[in-house]
Amino acid sequence: MELKIRKSGAIYIIDVNGEMDLYNSYKLKELILKMIDKNIEKYIINLEKVDYIDSSGIGALIYICSTIKKKNLKLRIANIHGSVKKVIELTKLMGYFPISNSIEEALGHIESE
Amino acid sequence: MSDTEIKEIFIDDNHEFLNQQGMFYKEFPSDYRQIRYFTLLVVQKAPPEIKEINLLEQQVSELIKNAVKHGNKNDINKKVKVWYLFDKESARLIVEDEGEGFKELEKWNEFNRKRTECFVNQDFENMATYVSFRTKESDDNDGGNALFAAVEYWNDGVVFTNKKNCIAVKKKFPQKRHGVEIG
Repeated sequence: MELKIRKSGAIYIIDVNGEMDLYNSYKLKELILKMIDKNIEKYIINLEKVDYIDSSGIGALIYICSTIKKKNLKLRIANIHGSVKKVIELTKLMGYFPISNSIEEALGHIESE
Repeated sequence: MSDTEIKEIFIDDNHEFLNQQGMFYKEFPSDYRQIRYFTLLVVQKAPPEIKEINLLEQQVSELIKNAVKHGNKNDINKKVKVWYLFDKESARLIVEDEGEGFKELEKWNEFNRKRTECFVNQDFENMATYVSFRTKESDDNDGGNALFAAVEYWNDGVVFTNKKNCIAVKKKFPQKRHGVEIG
């Protein structure tokens, strides 16, 4: 799994590339915790290039989401598709996660808040 | 909403899903690093029609992971035994470990019932309390959500033995006729 960070104004987009599985998912969690330490406030996690997620990956997203909510920061999760979407649906977390269909939609959502 | 039925994990030593007759069999050491590899060895027996965007692989890997990690505590000398049978219409799996058993199963059922109620009521404030099932043995890498998806995915049922160190599951796949999905 590869993680790349880019910026759009004050919003940080994290492009995840690869499988969010039991061996990799902690990396995303650690990266976001480091970014929170640096007082970054607005995040988009882009899952466009993620085709596999398991319960560890879902767990990492839950952890990130609840940490960001507690600290009153902003987060959108964008471009979920295929089996990633299916696993989130099976876990009944579609309404819990802040999901956007695209990066544009996520940016619009955060900017309007 | 048909998908919001409250699912439960059953405990029944005599359940038909636990009958291993006619099933394929493999056993693995409890090596955490090889969980996805072991999973592939099992899932390769499945016809492509039911592998649907690697969901079958993902769900099988969760049950093997639970056995390796929570059952056998990653003790390489303890075995995980897997029986499996796949065709175009259904998938069956039995996974047994050498551990103490899933002692908190009743608690899990209760937790899942409350969680599903929050979901039915679209009460995402309270659902935040029920996103993840934790026990005193959970660590940072445990998502605490694998079985929530399992009871949905294995739509024909999820059963444990009385000792709770052996899980049996079955999924039925919708059959396509004239390009229309039914069932």
